[in-house]
Amino acid sequence: MTKILIVDDEMDICDFVKHFFEERNYRVFTALSSAEGLRLLRREKPRIVLLDVKMAGTDGIETLKKIRDFDKDVTVIMVTAVDDHLSMEQAEKLGAARYITKPLVLEELEAAVLSYAKGTGDE
Amino acid sequence: MRKEPVMNKYFNSYSEDHKGWLKVQNWFIDKLSDTEGALIPIRPENAQKWPKAEKDYQLFMENASRLMIRFKKPEHLIKMIVNTIDEQLGITHTAVLLYKEDKNAFILIDSKGEGGVKIPVGFVRMTFDNPLVKIFDKRKNYLVSENGVLTYEELTALLQNKETLAKHEDLTELIELTLRQMELFKANICLPLYYKKNLIGVLVLGDKLSKEKFTRQEIGFFMTLANDAAMAISNAQLIQSLQDRIEEIKDLYTKEHRVFIHTAIALATAIDARDPYTHGHTERVTAYCMAVADELEGIPEAQAYRNFKETLHIAALLHDVGKIGIPDLILNKKGKLTKKEFEKIKEHPVIGAAILTPIRELGDVVKEIKYHQERYDGKGYPEGLKESQIPLVARIIAACDAFDAITSDRPYRQRKMAEVALQELRDGAGKQFDPIVVSAFLLAFEKGKIWNNKK
Repeated sequence: MTKILIVDDEMDICDFVKHFFEERNYRVFTALSSAEGLRLLRREKPRIVLLDVKMAGTDGIETLKKIRDFDKDVTVIMVTAVDDHLSMEQAEKLGAARYITKPLVLEELEAAVLSYAKGTGDE
Repeated sequence: MRKEPVMNKYFNSYSEDHKGWLKVQNWFIDKLSDTEGALIPIRPENAQKWPKAEKDYQLFMENASRLMIRFKKPEHLIKMIVNTIDEQLGITHTAVLLYKEDKNAFILIDSKGEGGVKIPVGFVRMTFDNPLVKIFDKRKNYLVSENGVLTYEELTALLQNKETLAKHEDLTELIELTLRQMELFKANICLPLYYKKNLIGVLVLGDKLSKEKFTRQEIGFFMTLANDAAMAISNAQLIQSLQDRIEEIKDLYTKEHRVFIHTAIALATAIDARDPYTHGHTERVTAYCMAVADELEGIPEAQAYRNFKETLHIAALLHDVGKIGIPDLILNKKGKLTKKEFEKIKEHPVIGAAILTPIRELGDVVKEIKYHQERYDGKGYPEGLKESQIPLVARIIAACDAFDAITSDRPYRQRKMAEVALQELRDGAGKQFDPIVVSAFLLAFEKGKIWNNKK
């Protein structure tokens, strides 16, 4: 079972995405903060991280930097409402696999995760 | 269960008869009017079940429509609808997506349901290539049930109907894609929200908590609710954009209006400047007029004006514009005027009106200027109008104009004291002046609002 980690400070989103992917046979972990996300990343070593950009405290870009400090390879998909090019560029430099803007199209989220889970994503 | 202590009082007295139901609805409507956006679902507290009788539905719909009109903000209306459906029918989850022009997509703007099933607000969108949207937008009526909704069950059944599938090209694919979308949204039923011919939203409903099928009646109810809601949402949006437009116009108007008033003031100052004896006359008359206006604005004649104070303000500023056409020699003459000279002076209201007539924005102001030298008893000029034949604004200017003339130095006499001038107004009431205007003037004077800065 492919492991996914969701890092988002909105409980509703964590719950929904967890439920959504569990129904599609993924093992899903959720974190409401950057620190919790990094802890789960070390412990569970998920294949894919769905990372929210705009979070209270340490934001998604900072979190991505910290992830890269000890894991160069994990697939990170940025999910965010912030549609600005600066964070998109930063995320790309830090090796984010993709950038999905909220409000998102559900099947795109599903397809993106699926392609990286199968290893057919454009990594 | 939600806690609404105030409502309980009413709901506990709710009875099965329609009067009781109506009472509840009316209470809700009243409640809503002072707390717009009270996001309370329409429901009787102690009625566990949705009203079963057909007439209850009808009554409910009538009342729902009535109160929908009350919502000025679409979001509040949508919340109310979602809450109502959720609480009354016990559905796993509900979601409303509305078309947003700036995103050219349908955005999820409200949802309900248990954690994990509830789709977070603002999280998802449907674009025009979404088959659900396509079907509703393009009105592929053979796919929707007779009520105009898409149900998972019916679509699945349709996949077995080889005859229909053969009739339309790519139908199988479209149905399969649609079913997949409904699975993504965990939707049992999807309803379109139309306004006029346009799809403005999509309502997504999950399964009944009781696992029962939705009845035809319930589906019909959703559709009616959706239609009314779409109308109300569009109206609310329309009102919003109208309000925005009004604000815009107001801004523009304020700017233009300021320019306009300043132009009038500049013109008035130019007139005043020609006549050293009447220096500041226009400014003072305008101030007196406005003080009198405060006393008179409640009378029917004042209220008959579209904008009484503004008309008076501009007319007062421009009342002597016609003096432009009077030779300096006559205007500044020391000593008494000859009859001929006086005849010339008497032309100034008509000259003023002639000068100002081409300015369309002035409207009625022109006739006020033309008649500001008429007398209440009909012995004035230019037309000898009397009493209510003379417009109110002109009558006010006449009295204020006279008061300032009496209290100002003139080439041919020294100014008189205010008390003397007031007495002349009193004496002239019903003759030269409108008695109502005179009493308003006296009232304003007593309040200290008439103030001649030359004294």
